[in-house]
Amino acid sequence: MKKILIVEDDPHLSRLYKAELETEGYTITLAEDGRKALEQVAAEMPDLVVMDIRMPEMDGLTAMVEILQKHRKVPVILNTAYSCYMDDFLAWAADGYVIKSSDVEPLKTKIREVLSSREGTPA
Amino acid sequence: MPSDTNASPNAFAGMSIEHHLTELTILYGVSRALQRTLSQRKALQTILVGVTAGPGLAFNRGFVLLVDDKEKALRGRLAVGPESPEAASVIWNELQSKHRSLGELLDSLEESEIGVDVSVNRIVSQINIPLEYPEHPLIRVMRSHETALARQGVLEPHGLAVDSQTSQLLGAPEFAVAPLFLAHRDLGLLIADNAITRKPIATPHLRLLQIFAQEASAAIENTLLYRELLEQVALHEQANEELRSNQERLLRAERLSTMGKMAALLAHEIRTPLVSIGGFARRLLRSCPPEDPRREEMMIIVSEVARLERLVMEVLGYTKLAKPACAASDVNALIGSVVGTMQDEIGRSRVSIKLDLASDLRAVNLDEAQVRQALMNLVNNALDAMPQGGTLTITTRMDDSYLEIGVHDTGAGILKEHWSRLFTPFFTTKASGTGLGLVIVSQVVDNHQGSLRFESTPGKGTSFYLRFPSGTAGGSSDPPAGGRQGAGGV
Repeated sequence: MKKILIVEDDPHLSRLYKAELETEGYTITLAEDGRKALEQVAAEMPDLVVMDIRMPEMDGLTAMVEILQKHRKVPVILNTAYSCYMDDFLAWAADGYVIKSSDVEPLKTKIREVLSSREGTPA
Repeated sequence: MPSDTNASPNAFAGMSIEHHLTELTILYGVSRALQRTLSQRKALQTILVGVTAGPGLAFNRGFVLLVDDKEKALRGRLAVGPESPEAASVIWNELQSKHRSLGELLDSLEESEIGVDVSVNRIVSQINIPLEYPEHPLIRVMRSHETALARQGVLEPHGLAVDSQTSQLLGAPEFAVAPLFLAHRDLGLLIADNAITRKPIATPHLRLLQIFAQEASAAIENTLLYRELLEQVALHEQANEELRSNQERLLRAERLSTMGKMAALLAHEIRTPLVSIGGFARRLLRSCPPEDPRREEMMIIVSEVARLERLVMEVLGYTKLAKPACAASDVNALIGSVVGTMQDEIGRSRVSIKLDLASDLRAVNLDEAQVRQALMNLVNNALDAMPQGGTLTITTRMDDSYLEIGVHDTGAGILKEHWSRLFTPFFTTKASGTGLGLVIVSQVVDNHQGSLRFESTPGKGTSFYLRFPSGTAGGSSDPPAGGRQGAGGV
């Protein structure tokens, strides 16, 4: 069962994503800011991280860059209400960029895409 | 009108006090009349009437030539005089029968323009001597600041041969040439002759003509200065007007930018709770058995949230419009792709679409994403304007300075009372609309230094025209200043 870490400061949204993704059969853990996400990635080694960008303590882009530097094999999907970060060159390093929507389908599709492409590459 | 004082070559010395008085009166009358006018044409007429009128210098004909600074030429400007002895006798008899004094004659100029003597003015209008030919005898006389008398083809005292063109044009055995000048500036020439009576020109009259020319020079200079002053005033007014309109544009841009920032902030704040509400509503809806009566109400929540999310997207799209990132673009292809992506909306409506695209479009520097957004907004508006169906036509055309995209609908048209608010943020006539669609269109056009124009006829439809500077794609040509104008003044 694939482990996904959801980094999201809004408790309602993290509850929604957890519920939706558990229905898809993933194991979900939650972190509420970038700094906690770094600790949890190190401790849990998830198969994928879904990362919000605007968060207190440490923003999602900074956290993502640290994760990619330390744990190169962990893919990160940025999931944000802002489209402006798409132009940020840091965001190009992400494995996916999803604009938050009440329709969670695009996020689920992106997760499936990233995980299946990772399965194809040797660990 | 012909004065017999012309008869004797040295009449000046022998002239009676009466004659001197007459001459002084003429000078006084003309100079007073000249002081009253700032119109160059009136001044020239007064000068020429003074030169030719019976009670004045009594030359048969007078011509004024002025330096045209723009054309860099000495050009004939105005002439007075009869064309033939027959015409002359008619005029002179008429004047005598009216017993008009010089003062009366000059006053009548104040009230209305005297009739233009066609034939002499045809002559004067043919005189056009480029200043770059300083050897031309008339130019040399002007530069010399000394009055000359042309007799037997020679201008004395300069000793210059009269050129054949001038002597042919004037056709008089003798003519006097008095330079019009001020200390710092050559203004032109005053030419006078007795082509009709063929009387010789006496030295005293030559001197008087010279004095007269000095008086005339001051008057002409005044009219020139006045004209320059008017031009300066007009320039200043224009500059002021531009300043005012630029200031308004700046203010508007600043207002929009502040509103944009606030809107972006709000939109983002709203977006997160919307995702929760809609996301959970979708979950509940999925978990509801098909026969559950609450399904319909949940569906309402889901679809209303989706609608709000679209509005938020639109607001964010608007606030994202910053400096355009331009690249050479094929506008016809862009229109094709906009129509392609909007196939769903177009298909759902009862509107047929027609593309009337110019085949010779060159690539133009555009931010395709922005122009695409503007076109989508216009197409959306057009579809909304034709709920009963109709035709949506998109046109393109191009000339040397701009490329124009037209979006035309056959809908209800825009009410005239809405015209002035059409581009105001959050103004909308639609049941569901952000009131940002046209603001975005206008912003996109402004970003490209283009212009936006619309025409609307109630019951017939509306056309929007977007003009973008065509320049050279990839070049850094300076695009013309943009502006928005409505058919009725927006």
